[in-house]
Amino acid sequence: MPTPSITLEHYLILGAVLFGIGLFGVLTKKNAIAVLISIELMLCAVNINLLAFNKYITPEAFIGQIFAIFVITVAAAEVGVGLAIIIAIYRNRLNINLEDFDWLKW
Amino acid sequence: MQMDFSVIIPEIAMVSLGVLVLILGLILPKKSLPRLGWFTSFSLIGILALVVLNWNNVGTVSGGLYLIDQFSQFFKVIFLTAAILVVFGSMAYVDKHLGGQAEYYSILVFSTLGMMVMASANDFITMYLGLELMTISFIVLVCFRRNDSESLEAGMKYVLLAGISSAVLLYGLSLIYGIAGTVLVVEVGMILAVQQSLPLLLVGVVMLVAGLGFKIAAVPFHMWAPDVYQGAPTPITSFLAVGSKMASFAILIRIFVLGMFGVSLSWGILMAILAGVTIIIGNLVAIPQTNIKRLMAYSGIAQAGYILVGMVTASQAGVKAIMFYGFIYIFAVVGVFTAISYYYNLTGSDEIKDYAGLSQRSPLMAATMVVSMLTMAGIPPFAGFVGKFYLFMTVVENYLWLAIIGLIMSMVSVYYYLMVVLVMYRDRPQDSSPIVVSLPVRMTLIFTMLVSVVLGVYPGPLSEIINKAALSFFMH
Amino acid sequence: MVQFSMHNAWLVPLLPALSFIIIAFITKQWKKTSAILSVGSMAISCFIASLAAYGVFSNYTLTEEPMVYSVKWFSMAGLNIDVGVQLDPVSAMMMFMVTLVSTLIFIYSIGYMEGDQGYSVFFSYLSLFGASMLLLIISSNLLQMFVAWELVGLCSYLLIGFYSHKVTAREAAKKAFITCRVADFGLLLGLISLQLIFGTLDIVELSGKISNFEQYTSMGIMTIIAILIFIGPIGKSGQFPLHVWLPDAMEGPTPVSALIHAATMVVAGVYLIARTIFLFAEVPPVMDMVAAIGGFTALFAASIAITQRDMKRILAYSTISQIGYMMLALGLGSLTASMFHLWTHAFFKALMFLGAGSVLYALHHKGDIWKMGGLLRKMPVTGYTFMVGCLAISGVPPFSGFWSKDEILLTAFDSGHYILFTMAALTSFMTAFYMWRLFFLAFTGQAQHEVQVKESPRTMTLPLVVLAFFAAIAGLIGTPWAPIWQNWIFSVHPHHPQANTMIMLGSVVLALAGMYLAYNLYYLDRSKAERMAEKYSFFWALSYNKFYVDELYLWFTHTIVDGGARLFYLFDIYIVDGIIVNGIGSLTKSFGSRLRLVQTGSLQSYALVFFLGVLAVAVIMALTDPSMALGLMGGVE
Repeated sequence: MPTPSITLEHYLILGAVLFGIGLFGVLTKKNAIAVLISIELMLCAVNINLLAFNKYITPEAFIGQIFAIFVITVAAAEVGVGLAIIIAIYRNRLNINLEDFDWLKW
Repeated sequence: MQMDFSVIIPEIAMVSLGVLVLILGLILPKKSLPRLGWFTSFSLIGILALVVLNWNNVGTVSGGLYLIDQFSQFFKVIFLTAAILVVFGSMAYVDKHLGGQAEYYSILVFSTLGMMVMASANDFITMYLGLELMTISFIVLVCFRRNDSESLEAGMKYVLLAGISSAVLLYGLSLIYGIAGTVLVVEVGMILAVQQSLPLLLVGVVMLVAGLGFKIAAVPFHMWAPDVYQGAPTPITSFLAVGSKMASFAILIRIFVLGMFGVSLSWGILMAILAGVTIIIGNLVAIPQTNIKRLMAYSGIAQAGYILVGMVTASQAGVKAIMFYGFIYIFAVVGVFTAISYYYNLTGSDEIKDYAGLSQRSPLMAATMVVSMLTMAGIPPFAGFVGKFYLFMTVVENYLWLAIIGLIMSMVSVYYYLMVVLVMYRDRPQDSSPIVVSLPVRMTLIFTMLVSVVLGVYPGPLSEIINKAALSFFMH
Repeated sequence: MVQFSMHNAWLVPLLPALSFIIIAFITKQWKKTSAILSVGSMAISCFIASLAAYGVFSNYTLTEEPMVYSVKWFSMAGLNIDVGVQLDPVSAMMMFMVTLVSTLIFIYSIGYMEGDQGYSVFFSYLSLFGASMLLLIISSNLLQMFVAWELVGLCSYLLIGFYSHKVTAREAAKKAFITCRVADFGLLLGLISLQLIFGTLDIVELSGKISNFEQYTSMGIMTIIAILIFIGPIGKSGQFPLHVWLPDAMEGPTPVSALIHAATMVVAGVYLIARTIFLFAEVPPVMDMVAAIGGFTALFAASIAITQRDMKRILAYSTISQIGYMMLALGLGSLTASMFHLWTHAFFKALMFLGAGSVLYALHHKGDIWKMGGLLRKMPVTGYTFMVGCLAISGVPPFSGFWSKDEILLTAFDSGHYILFTMAALTSFMTAFYMWRLFFLAFTGQAQHEVQVKESPRTMTLPLVVLAFFAAIAGLIGTPWAPIWQNWIFSVHPHHPQANTMIMLGSVVLALAGMYLAYNLYYLDRSKAERMAEKYSFFWALSYNKFYVDELYLWFTHTIVDGGARLFYLFDIYIVDGIIVNGIGSLTKSFGSRLRLVQTGSLQSYALVFFLGVLAVAVIMALTDPSMALGLMGGVE
């Protein structure tokens, strides 16, 4: 019995599931840091997509890999800024519960 | 491969300027820091002159990844002009409320650079880099008042929601890359034109629309805009309203008009619906607002809807209309926000009711706000009328309902702009001492007002230039 | 000199525009300088305009071939908009009339606005108004005209609300602006359709293309376009049922009422139709509609004017009524008669408004005519010039109004529209009656007030005298025996109505009868008037309450709303007075207030909306593209 090979669809489904988990986290987590982590999950899903497409669609060029590296780099920068804001806001309000940030509304 | 770096001199200059301002901030004595504003603005004027002088110096860099044509040159002019006006308008505000001049101006320069990259980017990776450079810079700028809860809350909302939107955008881009096998927009366009419509493509396009819709604050992706606009330092709000919006439109045009023309039928109607909904919601919710920045945020949402109208037909006329309206839009928005931030400096209030009697205290500020608002409402003879005329003419033939919604909602917008005007001109001020407007602010106000009037009365030459720029866009 | 003026007619609107800019930015502090600038620029414009008009009228060929100078304004693929100057007899006449009346009213304002806080601002607005109105007149392109049309609306808004401390003034300004914008919406739709179908908005080109419009479009479309365009004038010229804003507009300073709401801006609607008469001429049903609305408005407004007590309001209703006359003449296809009445009306109505201003100035702005009386002796100049105005408007020969009104009556009679003719004749009688009622009550009899009255200053009386002169003689250029006017201004070919002595005599008799009735009731024995009012209290109340139009609208909407038919309500508020302002406002406001609650401030609800938006977009995309929809239902592969 031949081992079932892993195809493009498997990667895409993995990516989609990961994206869904991230999405769920973004919508339900109350802690700002947890939401930040969930966003990272969504970006990981993107990276999986990119790499899989690179492997199966354009194996001779490295477009997808390059793209993924850029995504990782930029995401790091974004998280850096995000954490800085969270620290600042914690100093200010002693709280990083997202439900309490509704001063700006209507 | 020999690369012609001369075409990207403005970008190189921007990087140098950003770094230089940061370094100057470290070496200069603290009391001369406010002069950095003048330094930055004059350097930006120099770079603007560079772009204008190199108007016809077009070409590509990095094997077509980075494209300089008249279309991108025009957008760069828009961004640099906006940045210059914002720097002029924000000097007083920064010195009084923010401090950290070096960081502020340097990050502002970098975000402008991000926009310029977006205008020239010809592939998904470069676009993404430009977009994130702009967005991250903006995040920092939004919460620049780091001891102010509202500013921080706005920053927090912006960083998380922008993160989500870029994740969605990236997911869409990755799918389209998977279908087309390339990230070059022009190639994507050619491949998709012969491609069967796949469900994956649908998902990809939807995510692109959502991700870019977030940046231009189109309904239903607009929720962040009012909160962030209200919480951010006022000069940044105006830069966010024009720069971020127009840069995202540059990408939107590039991706959809060039990359998606093969599937144009299915997204034309979508753009029309989004534009219609955005115009309606933006204008309606603007009416009950009591905070002027929030009012302007909703009005900005409505304006995004108007500009989106130009996308519907994916035609040269549409692209031209967007560029024209975008150009007018900077001056209108910057004019209003400069007045708002200066007024906040004096009174510490953004509430509309506190604008009572502004016309007696400072006729110039009141007049600028009136002219800019009438421009945005599209009342002739101000420039906005011509702009809206261009936009709606493109859809009158096939989407008459959209033009009618636009016209009706313009009348609604007259209503809430008029409310502000009434307060400024009719009510008695509590404190009727005249306001002395500082030189850079006065320059900005007069300049924006003049442009709004002159372009309304005589839009011919600008319209010619844009015709050529829009044509260059379709030459690839 | 004449050649220069004709070739440089663009200077006429430019000079007031420059004076506006200079006053607004430089000379605001110096009141006298501002006033002199404003008056001076308008006087020079008047000089140029009169030369240009002389040139146009001494050159008869220009009627068929207007002189057009234009430059490109803006362009895009398939769309070129030129702006320019179009000189032909109609625009030359208007230009001359507007600059002349404006100059006089500007001079008058020097005295009238004395001591007002916003003296310079007032003059800057006046100049801006003058510039926009003149731009409207010389426009060679309908879009350019629309821009000017909106500008005069804006100026009217600013000037009505000039006394901003008065709540009524603010409300009136808002009402005027919004009513007119609703009407302008129709006009704009009409213009866009014209552009789409004929590919041009240039008046000359358009007239060429429309003369054989069958090549482009059908009769039905043309009818719709004509109606849409007509909606604009209904609003701007205060025709029924959008007349409601004009009486309220009297809250503005009196020179403004005279200039904008009597002599110039409100006749812009008539002028627009006159300009596009070639279009209306192609669709007879719309022409009939114009005539019918004009005739009805004339009668309707006159019957309201009979019982009003406020001096300026009477004049306002009289303006509505007289514009109705002009519309009537236009609808019957007589450009000659319509423009002739426009011309004479401008003089006598400006005269009467300025006279009313002079009276109000003396009486400290108390406008009830029952509380005046005996002013003729104390203010002789005002009184006698006002009398000239009354003689002119009631149509007593040889004063100007007689000739133009006679021309309209003749047109109506000749065209065979006897109902309209009767309405016009009846209006003529009523006009004479209410004007002389006003005159007798205000200027004769015992003084009913306790104010020490004295004649107004020279700057105010001088324009009165000049206007009285014009009001007296302006009609003499168009008598049936010397039809100079009729040879100048006409559409297609000159129109020489045969002098119909019966009609002429009849209209004189009607005018005299109206005057006699007023003399009898309000001069000989005022108590008679009250007895009359009691006897016919039903009609009196009907007229005094403006036929309960406002109340009717209100009652109607209330019942309907209570009945639950909200759809009707939505529709109706667009036509209803007062509610136009408040209804749309509160309705959209309540929508807006609900919608804003979606914005809860919670970040995650924003994210949720974002993803719901993604879903919605996906659904829209799938629905609009069937192949995608099938693919989606069939799963990923």
